[in-house]
Amino acid sequence: MIVPRRVALRSLFALAVTAFTGGALGRVATRPDRPGSEGARDPHAFDEMYRGHRLLGFSGPGGGPTALVDGRPLHLMRCADGGWVSPIDHYESCPTPLAATRAAVDELGTARLSPLAGAHGVPTDPTGGSPRGVHA
Amino acid sequence: MVYTRKNQRDLTGAERRKFVAAVLELKRTGAYDRFVRTHIDHYTADGEGRLRIAHMTPSFLPWHRKFLLDFETALRRIDPTVSVPYWDWTRDNSPASSIWREDFMGGNGRRADLQVMTGPFAHATGRWTITQSMTDIRYLTRDFGRPRDPITLPTPAQLDAVMRERVYDAAPWNSTSATGFRNALEGWAPGRGNERFRIHNRVHRWVGGLMLGGGSVNDPVFWLHHSFVDLIWSRWQQRNPGAAYLPAEPPPLGDAQYRKVAARHEPMAPWGVTPASMFDHSRIYRYA
Repeated sequence: MIVPRRVALRSLFALAVTAFTGGALGRVATRPDRPGSEGARDPHAFDEMYRGHRLLGFSGPGGGPTALVDGRPLHLMRCADGGWVSPIDHYESCPTPLAATRAAVDELGTARLSPLAGAHGVPTDPTGGSPRGVHA
Repeated sequence: MVYTRKNQRDLTGAERRKFVAAVLELKRTGAYDRFVRTHIDHYTADGEGRLRIAHMTPSFLPWHRKFLLDFETALRRIDPTVSVPYWDWTRDNSPASSIWREDFMGGNGRRADLQVMTGPFAHATGRWTITQSMTDIRYLTRDFGRPRDPITLPTPAQLDAVMRERVYDAAPWNSTSATGFRNALEGWAPGRGNERFRIHNRVHRWVGGLMLGGGSVNDPVFWLHHSFVDLIWSRWQQRNPGAAYLPAEPPPLGDAQYRKVAARHEPMAPWGVTPASMFDHSRIYRYA
C-alpha cells in the first residue's frame, strides 16, 4: 500500500505529539519561533482547561489547526461555511477550531478520544478511499 | 425478486425479532463493524479541498443508497426474509414511540453517562460492544432531544418543503448549496441555533450520543433513519421523473469543486459504482 507523504507525516506527527507531556506541548504551542515569522504567535494556539479536559491547539504540519484533548489528537475539519467540525460532532459547524474542540468535549463527558478521532476520512486514491479503510 | 422495505411501526413482533436477530448475527461475525468503519473512513468535510463522496456532496444520497443495499444484502444472507425497515420520524417523533421498545431498538441513554440500558443493543447483553468509535466508550449512547439544548424531530411541514425542490442539486454542490433537493434533505442550513440542523442532520442530532459523530453507524437506528431518507429520495424521484442526478459532468478545471465531487457517471468509493447506476432501485426493493 502506498501511503502519501502527507498522510505518513500526519501519522508520524500524531505519534510524536502524543509522546510528549502536556507541559512540553504547552511550550510548543506558544513558542514564537516559526521560520519567517519572528515573534509571530501561532494563529492556532490555545491552551486551556475546559470541563476537566486539557485542550491544546497549534498549527499542524500542513499549517492547519491541530487539537489535542488530554494529549489525544482530535481531527478538526474545515467546512465550506468557514466553520469547523470534529469527528465527535459532525453536525455543529463551529466558528473556530477552539469552539469545535470545546463542542467535542461537551459531548465527550468522561470518555477519552480513540485513535480514530485523530484523523478520519483520509483519502489515498482518486475515488476517495482511506489508507486505514477495509477497502484500501 | 423485488422485496419490500416496511415502516418499522407496521412490523409484526416476529418481523421485529428477525431483524434484530440478523443485525446481532452480523455484529457477532465482525461484519457489522466493517460497515461502521467504511462510514467513518468516507467522511470528508467540504472546506478541506478534498474529494467528498458521502457527505456535504451531491453523492450523499446514492452513496448511502449503496451503503444500505450492501448492509441489507449482508442481512439477507443471514435471513432472506429480512429487509431494512424505515423510521418515519415525522410521525414516530417521541421517546415513547414504539421504535424504542425493548424488543426493537431499545430506549434512550441514561442521564449519567448516556448509556443505553434497554433492548437488544444494551451493552449488558454482551452482544453489542462498540469497537469502531471516536472514543474509548464501549457501549451504545443516546441523548434523545438533546435536553441541554433541546431540539425536536423534523415535522411533516418541514419535509413537505424539501419535497417542493425541483432540481436534484445545485452549485456549489456542498453544505452551502442554497437550493436543490439534496442539501435540503441532507439538512445543512445557515442561521442561528437549531435552525442550522434540518431534516437528515436534525435526526442525527435528536438521537444524539454515537449518532452525532463519525461512529453513527454503531447505533442500529442509523439504518432505519437512512432507509427513510432513501424513501424520501425515492418518492421525490417519482414526483420529478425528469430530474436527473446533478452534476451531470465533473466540474471543470478552475471550478472550486474541480475533483471534489462525483458527477453522474463517476465512480464512488469504495465500490466504484456511479451515482447514475444507483438512481433506480425498483428492480431490487420497493417501499411499502
